[in-house]
Amino acid sequence: MAATVLLPSSSNVSVKVHPVVLLSICDAYVRRKEHQDRVIGTLLGVVVDNVIEVKNCYVVPHNESSEQVMVDVIHHKTMFDLHQKVAPHESIVGWFATGSDLYNSDALIQDFYSKESTHPVHMVVDTTLKDNKFSVQAYTSRMLALGDKVLATEFVEIPCDTIFGDIERVGVDLMLTGLNDPSPESKKETANKSFSDEAETLAASMGRLADLVARASEYVDSVVSGRVSGEPAIGRYLADTLALVPHLARSDFERLFNESVQDAMMVTFLSDLLRAHVALAERLGTAALPIV
Amino acid sequence: MAAVLEGGAHRAHKELVKTVQLEGQVLLKIIQHCSEALPQLVTGQLLGLDVGQQLEVTDCFAFPTAVADDDVEAESAGANYQLEMMRCLREVNVDNNTVGWYQSANMGTFQTVELIETFINYHENIKKCVCIIYDPQRSARGNLGLKAIRLKESFIELSKEQKLTLKGFQEVKLSWRDIFVELPIKVRNSNLVQALVADLMPAPSATLADVDRLNLSVAPFLERNIQSLVECVDDIVQEQQKVSVYHKSVARQQQLYAAWLQKRRQENTQRLQDNLEALPEEDPTLFKPIPEPSMLDNYLVTNQIATYCDQINIAASEAIQKLFLMEGIQKAGL
Repeated sequence: MAATVLLPSSSNVSVKVHPVVLLSICDAYVRRKEHQDRVIGTLLGVVVDNVIEVKNCYVVPHNESSEQVMVDVIHHKTMFDLHQKVAPHESIVGWFATGSDLYNSDALIQDFYSKESTHPVHMVVDTTLKDNKFSVQAYTSRMLALGDKVLATEFVEIPCDTIFGDIERVGVDLMLTGLNDPSPESKKETANKSFSDEAETLAASMGRLADLVARASEYVDSVVSGRVSGEPAIGRYLADTLALVPHLARSDFERLFNESVQDAMMVTFLSDLLRAHVALAERLGTAALPIV
Repeated sequence: MAAVLEGGAHRAHKELVKTVQLEGQVLLKIIQHCSEALPQLVTGQLLGLDVGQQLEVTDCFAFPTAVADDDVEAESAGANYQLEMMRCLREVNVDNNTVGWYQSANMGTFQTVELIETFINYHENIKKCVCIIYDPQRSARGNLGLKAIRLKESFIELSKEQKLTLKGFQEVKLSWRDIFVELPIKVRNSNLVQALVADLMPAPSATLADVDRLNLSVAPFLERNIQSLVECVDDIVQEQQKVSVYHKSVARQQQLYAAWLQKRRQENTQRLQDNLEALPEEDPTLFKPIPEPSMLDNYLVTNQIATYCDQINIAASEAIQKLFLMEGIQKAGL
């Protein structure tokens, strides 16, 4: 019987990346030294169950030629120690490289990183924009062993996703809409959309929620008219949600409404009063005179 | 020659920072660091370049939170961390120029004496530095609470001369409003990053934040603000008492001096009659001039009050908007 190639069972690991990491990698790529084609560095994050969450990263200088590859280990260790002081719960979860393909030397680097962490993830960020798409891929490695002899290291792709915290979404949205200075050389004053356009963000939120509600009602319509077979779970969920809408008697609602509005108005009045007081004191110069 | 030199210095003086330009990754890094470190307040360093009137911030890193065991040790550890970090970053071609620092603030309060001291420390070495204040509570309510501030030039000079008294302020025509200058922030991304962000554009489905934003209850936020406001007003009253004590003691000193002077004059006329020398009419050792209290705390607290009032106004007007919308929906019979 021929010796079988032993493949260890692959755990279904998946990777979630924060957008900070991707932006840092792009920035590092733009700043790389002249003779280098790609940039490599360490990924920091936390591992929860089978999900690896990549929160931070830093670049490690390296030198590679066709025969050998050298990584500045001292730099890597120093930066890791520094980062530990700020975020002690983050650990090394892998490493990243820019470029579109895997290189031969990657196996060696992966080896080095497997000494640092148990399941190092190798992330490839395609900065060359192949296929007009910005792709981020994650791989984990496994050893191909024939009996006792180790043959090769294989990189297996694992699902990789970008996650946003809610606040990060605000930041990313801002970057996308309007605050962008289109050309770095232009000195013209781009319209400075203020960070605090409260009413607009409220309108945007309501628009999104209205979309959601429209989709739900479309689904219900199609189930009722028989086009789509309904799922009882979704139906029950929708019914529960609708039951949560409070039905207030008119007098109750008026009372609640009036109370809230009065509270808000009173507070506004108080704050305006205080401001007027301070302004008056300043004008009269009594801010520095004894209170008579 | 001296005139030319002065002219040159004056021109450099005029090149104050007018706008701040952040890179996308700095924005996200600050947000991530400050939100993860809640409820602790954290600080970090900003790196970048200054280009004329615009300050470009291209990178940033966080400071470890100082353990308040031994002040001297903590300081040297902090300085070491900074040096190490800058050295490592220089190896990877990051701009090695400090342009300021960022800190997270609770409820938007950042007007403290420490801030002013840090500014002045920075100002000794770097003329153009800026501080970015991040308010995590404001961002949790849906809008990015990011502000860039710097101190006004005239205020810096005034504090260098140690003349932070009322007369000093009046001489340079500064009011409490003029201590801090807020700078507009722009966000810029390199083309590659713009491609990335365009690709990352999240699916336009509603998030939990959207649902939270429709929340009608604004009372807890207002309560906290008003509580802090009450504390501030207490502080101001204390400051005012200090000033009134000063004035009273000056008045009392004048009285004592007048009485003593009279007595002296009487003695002198007596001595002249006795053909003795007249004693001097002044005695500096008895009546030392009382130092005037510094107005800095007073002004900082006033600034704080103004910030709270602004926040309250904004929150209350938001709440009223939402309530009226709600009323409209109810009236429409939905």
